Amino acid sequence: MRDPLTVAVVLIVAITIFDAPTPSPAQTPAPSDAKPAPAQGKTASIDAKAGEQLFATTCGFCHQGGGRVAGRGPKLAGTERPDAYLLERIRTGKQGAMPAYGGAFSEAQMRALIAYIRSLKDEPQ
Amino acid sequence: MTRQRGAVYLAGLAMMMLATGACTTTSGSSTSSTSSGSASMMDPAGGDWTTYHGSYRSWHYSPLTEINSDNVKKLKVAWVHHPGRSTRGLQSMPLVADGVLYYTGSYSRVWALDAATGKPLWSYFPKLNEDLVAAQTHSPYTRGIALGMGKVYVGTVDGRLIALDMKTGQPAWDTKLVNSEKLTVGFTGAPLFVKDKVIIGSQGGEWPGRGPIFGVDAASGRKVWEFLTVAGTDEAMKTWGGESWKTGGGGGWMAGAYDPETNAVWWGTGNPAPLYDWAGAEWKTTGPRPGDNLYTTSIIGLDADTGKLKFYHQELPHDAWDFDSAVGEFVMLDRDGKKLVVHPNKGGHVFVYDRKDASVVNVWQLAKNINFVKGVDPKTGALIGRRDLALGKHTNLCPAIAGGMSWNSGAYSPKTGLYYKIGQEWCMDLEVIKTTPVLEPQAQLDLGANFTLRDPEGGKAHGHLSGRDPVTGAKKWEVMFPEPPLASLLATAGNLVFVPDSRGMLRAFNAETGQEVWAHNNGIGHNGGIISYAAKGKQYIAVATGWGSLVGDEFGALFGEPYKSMPKDSGAIVVFTLE
Repeated sequence: MRDPLTVAVVLIVAITIFDAPTPSPAQTPAPSDAKPAPAQGKTASIDAKAGEQLFATTCGFCHQGGGRVAGRGPKLAGTERPDAYLLERIRTGKQGAMPAYGGAFSEAQMRALIAYIRSLKDEPQ
Repeated sequence: MTRQRGAVYLAGLAMMMLATGACTTTSGSSTSSTSSGSASMMDPAGGDWTTYHGSYRSWHYSPLTEINSDNVKKLKVAWVHHPGRSTRGLQSMPLVADGVLYYTGSYSRVWALDAATGKPLWSYFPKLNEDLVAAQTHSPYTRGIALGMGKVYVGTVDGRLIALDMKTGQPAWDTKLVNSEKLTVGFTGAPLFVKDKVIIGSQGGEWPGRGPIFGVDAASGRKVWEFLTVAGTDEAMKTWGGESWKTGGGGGWMAGAYDPETNAVWWGTGNPAPLYDWAGAEWKTTGPRPGDNLYTTSIIGLDADTGKLKFYHQELPHDAWDFDSAVGEFVMLDRDGKKLVVHPNKGGHVFVYDRKDASVVNVWQLAKNINFVKGVDPKTGALIGRRDLALGKHTNLCPAIAGGMSWNSGAYSPKTGLYYKIGQEWCMDLEVIKTTPVLEPQAQLDLGANFTLRDPEGGKAHGHLSGRDPVTGAKKWEVMFPEPPLASLLATAGNLVFVPDSRGMLRAFNAETGQEVWAHNNGIGHNGGIISYAAKGKQYIAVATGWGSLVGDEFGALFGEPYKSMPKDSGAIVVFTLE
């Protein structure tokens, strides 16, 4: 049963992870908004965890195996595309192939997705 | 018959004619007994094809006999029409009335063409919210239109229903029904014309909304009723734990059917959201959407005038696999004094219902690789041995998310008594992951898992066409395909079954034996409709070409070429006749 308390906690965590500009009391440091480069260390792992959940919410429909293998969409694990390219693709999409998420996801959410993609092991299919 | 007469009378008469075989025309006769522009949703007695499923009976059957199994080898291309901007291919079902072929392409572009020559008569390109379209996943295809009361009706992916004058293409009204800017989804399915109303269902499923179905006044465009497929009644509200009904999914994204005898609109509904449910076996009391989740993955009967629920059957209570009931065909036939309706479910089973109240008469299995349940009780429809998916990894779930059957329609021939349907054989591995629906600022897919399609154990993924008794499922013949065909089928009184396949071949089979009797290469895969009609004394076959549906998008990784390189921005109407 999804009780209101659980929902509230999940929402607080989600908001903290994705939107808070500074580390919050909820012990879920937000990704830095200051630098466009991929997050590092502990922040990166938190980003990747948040990105993993968001990926399984929305992106896994096309990028199969959690982005580890090709399916409707291309394999993402081990991609050599730079962050700027990935960010732009998430933001603007590709006509007839991938939706544009720029109006739906925050910058922090998009960077969390990239952190998740970077965390994937590139294993042969 | 004239357009002034009532649709119910016309439909009822058409059904009586069919029941007695009176509709079977002589070869090539071009008549207008269906009456152009009338509100009738009749069977194609005069060679017209006036509603998505060919008739209210969903037979996808033409009584025309000029093209038949003896002369089909002389079938040649008569004309071709390219709509342009065919993103994700041409997925729609053309309609024909009084010598005019109407169809819609991607972005809800509507065309009216001379059915004998393909000469354009008019076109209508609605101005869409392109920013919204760019943000949509299940878009920008439009799978069909409806005709009635002198108008063409088309839904748009940005949540509108538009009526156009059949003769001129000028808009008569344009009604916004869904807040697509907020919910992201809109309309991709064909409307259904019933009496004086246009019925259309919203997208839904893994999209966190409440999946409305609308009844709209055909004359004015005014919304008359709205039925919510998620918790649309007090009874249904009790089947959603907590506030999960607010984001339950559902929807009715394919056109259904209509039974004039009960005044019931039959409609299939989409799956609940999230797609996959980490509650596992405890789904009745815990997880993201505890309970049966009515009326998702159900068939429902709505009063055509009021939209009130008359009856329903939930094919998969608490669907945890995305095997929804949105397949639109409701094959209506009579047997042994019983009035039946046959409805395929994406999970691979075919349900047979009593038309008076949707009580289950039989359930039979079409797809071979099924392990999400051990079975379905043929007397009650109850699921036996559910495979509920707890948090974590699972292997070899069958069928795969693409289903044991897809949304395109099969066909039924009253001459052979056989139901022709494509089955799909594939499985998948998945990892169920807890998710939180994204609702702001714009709703997003809510999946709850990552997954990967794979071959079934001991064999390759593939598809098959079979001719079966629609009530018992007894198989008369079967033809195997290396990849599942994804387009609708067409049966004709000329003893033919047409199968537009995924590689791009349009194939014709002997309806009695399953022997292939003709094939033509259209040069690109098929993922849309096919009809037969008569114009100016000749019989024609019209098929939509083009590739790139969300199921078809799986083929490159699963099957390789020709799918890896198959264009996803092309498509045309290709029309055939005897040379």
